[in-house]
Amino acid sequence: MNIAKYRKMFITEAAEHLQTMAEQLVRVDADPEDRDGIDALFREAHSIKGMAATMSFDATARLAHHLEDQLSDCREQGQIDSGMIDRLLAGVDLLEGLLEDIRSERPEREVDGFIKTLAADLEPVSEAPDPDAEPVEPERNRLRIHLRLADTVTAPGPRLLVLLKRLAEFGPLHESTPGEEQLLQGEISRTLSVQLETAVSQAEIHQCLQRYRELTEITFPSAPPEEKSRKRSVSSSTSVRVGTDLLDRFINLTGELITNRYLLQGAASEKNWQELNEGLGQLARLVKDLHHQVLQVRMMPLASVTGRLPRAVRELCRSSGKEVQFTVEGASIELDRAILEALNDPLLHMIRNAIDHGIEARGSIKVKAWRERDQVLIQVVDDGCGIDPEQIRQQAVQRNLISPDQAQTLRKYDIFQLICLPGFSTAGQVTETSGRGVGMDVVKTAVERLGGVLLIDSTPGQGARITMKLPLSVAIIRVLLIDCAGSLMGVPISRVLQTLEVSPQEVQTSGKQLVISLHGEAAAVVA
Amino acid sequence: MAKHVLIVDDALFMRNLLRDVFESAGWNVIAEAETGLQAIEQFNTHQPDLVTMDIVMPEMGGIDALKKILTDHPAACVVMCSALGQERMIMEAINAGARDFIVKPFQEQQVLDVVARIFAA
Repeated sequence: MNIAKYRKMFITEAAEHLQTMAEQLVRVDADPEDRDGIDALFREAHSIKGMAATMSFDATARLAHHLEDQLSDCREQGQIDSGMIDRLLAGVDLLEGLLEDIRSERPEREVDGFIKTLAADLEPVSEAPDPDAEPVEPERNRLRIHLRLADTVTAPGPRLLVLLKRLAEFGPLHESTPGEEQLLQGEISRTLSVQLETAVSQAEIHQCLQRYRELTEITFPSAPPEEKSRKRSVSSSTSVRVGTDLLDRFINLTGELITNRYLLQGAASEKNWQELNEGLGQLARLVKDLHHQVLQVRMMPLASVTGRLPRAVRELCRSSGKEVQFTVEGASIELDRAILEALNDPLLHMIRNAIDHGIEARGSIKVKAWRERDQVLIQVVDDGCGIDPEQIRQQAVQRNLISPDQAQTLRKYDIFQLICLPGFSTAGQVTETSGRGVGMDVVKTAVERLGGVLLIDSTPGQGARITMKLPLSVAIIRVLLIDCAGSLMGVPISRVLQTLEVSPQEVQTSGKQLVISLHGEAAAVVA
Repeated sequence: MAKHVLIVDDALFMRNLLRDVFESAGWNVIAEAETGLQAIEQFNTHQPDLVTMDIVMPEMGGIDALKKILTDHPAACVVMCSALGQERMIMEAINAGARDFIVKPFQEQQVLDVVARIFAA
């Protein structure tokens, strides 16, 4: 069989099965006697096994087979316990790692250690280093190390930088993805792959890395670095599934564009201006159509991001001892994949906030998404203790962020925006229960970078509602151009509420601030 | 012999919290400082085994203090202690030679983990 041809298809499909498995495991954890759920899990593992075996990915097939066996036992018992869920989740993680190996055309990583520990009913050790896998020579040795941070780790960038510096103490680093420069420039990643030249043994490095509890994965891929696999890891392009109907439309459009080209060429050589004009009009329409269709390909359902959340909620609940009912509404809403990728961390931040500071002992968190014209709104709602605007007002005054006078005049909306100031509630954080400023500036920055808006609303005692208003796509943003004192500026149209003409007489002063009256409220004049 | 730590933070609350964490783990809190300038002074006086350094402080911030301490004492062991959302500053500190960092709000165990891995080697 021509493996290369099917590799991509296999990876895409297996990744989907794994995603479903991870989601299903969390669901079954909430209802351990859900027979249909256990059946579904069994079928997923079975499918992966079948596909992997067909493709001769032996380790993947062996591990999937093993998970299938475990699930078969659960099926007979009619239930699944929480310890088993943990082990199966670890198995799913390891399968994801194997897929990564296959994607990068590396040999599959070792799985027998995991299968053995699972069989021996021990705590899962996801990656026991196999001393035989990499013969450790006393001399300097090139070691490939792959690390993954838990989804719940705060500040992943600095964490990876610390790890990178720690590893560099063992010897020179020859390759690192992401590199130190990229990290310093703010690139966000949860994985780190390096090539280390070192005289220290793999076991010793593994032991050192194990002290970083933030790491969920420590592997030493044994393959020698190949030019090919390196190229892949650099681009690490993800594949997209495109419906055949969409492809047909592309082909039709391309056909029309070719026809259009001949038409234009003919018109130009005959200097037939009218035909040339018509042809250009047609071209404009075709290009616009093509642009629209290409944007379609970039669209993905929100589920591709929210699918990971139940698991994070489960981990957070476990570490905080709280009980949270988590639901997602509108997961089928489609957004540009670039936006979706950038939403990963902010959503996680918001949910972590809700669990840490909103929810008391038990409660519910809901992620809701819907479309409003050319915007998508994503809301995180919890029914916890809420945010007290009075407390924020006081804290802001204490920290000299606003004057007492300003504090009195600020509207509720602006008060809540204060918690997005970097480090706003750092001191209050630990002293008072209401501190909710954890990383809200990070969330706000991410949302604004995408051309969106962050809205915060809360009623003390009844929970909080945080809304992200996002554009559907980032490929093209319509802007309002403003010419001001010789400078030309652009404001995303989605952020413009209203344009209006203001005569000089309408401008009043309030303290040092110039204001105009807008809908009965004072609005600040910037320039 | 108990190891010595210097705790630097402008908030009394945070200093007390860290003091409790370190003392219950058998450390000796040799001094506290509220500003970067005080931190440098205290470091020179006591030469502690470890410094926990807040980033945003009056007079002199934690990053400047870190750089000054490391210039005079290249082997100094400084752990940054900062709020979430200050990733850039944490990176700058690590790049300047801070050994590790703790993000506030933290749990006792997180502090102990960081300390344990620094002194395990």
